[in-house]
Amino acid sequence: MIEARGLTKRYGPKTAVDGISFTVQPGQVTGFLGPNGAGKSTTMRMIMGLDRPTAGSVTVNGQPYAAHRSPLTEVGALLDAKAVHTGRSAYNHLLAMAATHNIPKTRVQEVIEMTGLQSVAKKRVGGFSLGMGQRLGIASALLGDPKTLILDEPVNGLDPEGVLWVRNLARYLASEGRTVFLSSHLMSEVALTADHIIVIGKGRIIANAPVKDIVDGGAQHTVRVRTPQATQLAELLTRDGATVTSDEPSLLQITGVEAPGIGELAAASGIVLHELTPVTSTLEEAYMLLTADSVEYQTESATQHVGHGVDAPADAPISEGAQR
Amino acid sequence: MTAATVSAARPTAQRAPSARLTFGGVLKSEWIKLWTLRSTVWTLSITVVVMVGIALMFGFFMNLATENLSAEEAAATSAILPSAAVVVSGYQMAQLVVGVLGVLIITGEYSTGMIRSTFSAVPRRLPAFFAKLIVLFSISFVVTLVGVALSYLVTIPFVPQAVDLADGDSIRVLVGAALYVATIAALSLGIGTLLRSTAGSIFTVMGLLLVVPNILAIVTAFSDNVVIEAIYKYLPSLAGQQLMAMGGIDPMTGAMATDGLSPWGGYGVLVAWTVAVLLAAAVVLKRRDA
Repeated sequence: MIEARGLTKRYGPKTAVDGISFTVQPGQVTGFLGPNGAGKSTTMRMIMGLDRPTAGSVTVNGQPYAAHRSPLTEVGALLDAKAVHTGRSAYNHLLAMAATHNIPKTRVQEVIEMTGLQSVAKKRVGGFSLGMGQRLGIASALLGDPKTLILDEPVNGLDPEGVLWVRNLARYLASEGRTVFLSSHLMSEVALTADHIIVIGKGRIIANAPVKDIVDGGAQHTVRVRTPQATQLAELLTRDGATVTSDEPSLLQITGVEAPGIGELAAASGIVLHELTPVTSTLEEAYMLLTADSVEYQTESATQHVGHGVDAPADAPISEGAQR
Repeated sequence: MTAATVSAARPTAQRAPSARLTFGGVLKSEWIKLWTLRSTVWTLSITVVVMVGIALMFGFFMNLATENLSAEEAAATSAILPSAAVVVSGYQMAQLVVGVLGVLIITGEYSTGMIRSTFSAVPRRLPAFFAKLIVLFSISFVVTLVGVALSYLVTIPFVPQAVDLADGDSIRVLVGAALYVATIAALSLGIGTLLRSTAGSIFTVMGLLLVVPNILAIVTAFSDNVVIEAIYKYLPSLAGQQLMAMGGIDPMTGAMATDGLSPWGGYGVLVAWTVAVLLAAAVVLKRRDA
């Protein structure tokens, strides 16, 4: 279980993480989703006590990470595939890490086998591919058989087989009752692996809900209409409360009214339609929508939260964000 | 499904029941880290080679120079340049090599990102820092002492009379060389921790050990400025090297030893420098983002 309260990190004038609060529950995979630079890695480093929060606090299994007597058995982290001395072999790296906690050599051998590193374990890490580096990072995360796993972009650089392996591993670890917190900038990846998603954008939490809610809530239905009388139709639709955008003179993207409604309206007004296509956005688009809006949304949510008080449901922003 | 995918089904076959963070474990970890990098193993080997090589060379030329001297003249030479000084003559070079080691042991972790793994395993950080310090100091001390011992053996044929191992002053010089070099290693660790950059730290250590003393030596030779003389006297290298001073002669430069600082007093000045730098390093290490 990971609990962050008002977690903030500023680097000079730049705010990387802006007062975020969230809870990562055990027994499920929680995806931490956001575009590059959204504050995912900074948040994970603060959980691990590597970066000092400017404000707020974060605990793992009830205590700050550094306060645990046996940190590696509480949390295993893959924060950076290359957080390894390039001149040392994978085996020796794991051996040195294990030694701090008096973890036996048999466990080192075990995590090497688990991550499929047997053939390269005695080679120096400097020559590793990104994928092998990721496997080594995951091996060191598993070393202490931890209750909580924090994986920052674990599938980065892995081949399809490796991606599948990480997905199965994350799900398996969660099924054992562990807390699994993994970040990604790919919605599709998180949607396949996670049970719960926290979306972060520009240092703030945009959404925090079960995967299904995010997917449904985020999916916008738009209708593409091609007509020589675009201006006329757009006026009518806008009057009915629909949102109309246009990239080309005769092409409209309409949200807020379904295709049948548009067709009927056009027929009633004698407008010729050349195309009428309902477009359901993909997960990726739903996610883009969530994050692209983040700045505009934040100013609104700030005022809303004042009204709702602290007890505003964590998942409220999603549906609101999606409706707009 | 490949082997890797299948084995993922049992990631936790054996739970290590005794897994627990201890300082002994952290020490062992730093010990493993030191011996599993080629750079450190090479650095330590070079330390020994350099010490023995220089002592041998020094002894050989001294032997050439004193070959045709009478017994009294040889004895007089011995008094100015005691055999113990010949044996430890390599420490000046050894301190540079060990200084690089002291820097690399920490900056190597910062430059590769290893420091994040280290601090993930030891999130309180200071135990890892002190473990590094202890391992580095002990290894540097032992390796330099081995260098001194080998130098002693190989120079026996060349020096007018072998070092009297029962003589307190001689032992002070021989063991002192190892103590001095190990302390320089610790000082370098502190500098490396403060600066984090390998190049910057090595430049600083070299500057402190080589450039600054030489510049001040030239300045003091031509000026009577009391302040500069005092600074010169209390430089970490110059002060610390009093530990190897014998018969009023600086063993390496041949210049008269700095006035006023006793062997242990001088070493105390070096220790004070080292402790101050290490304390600053510990504070910064604890507070800084990794």
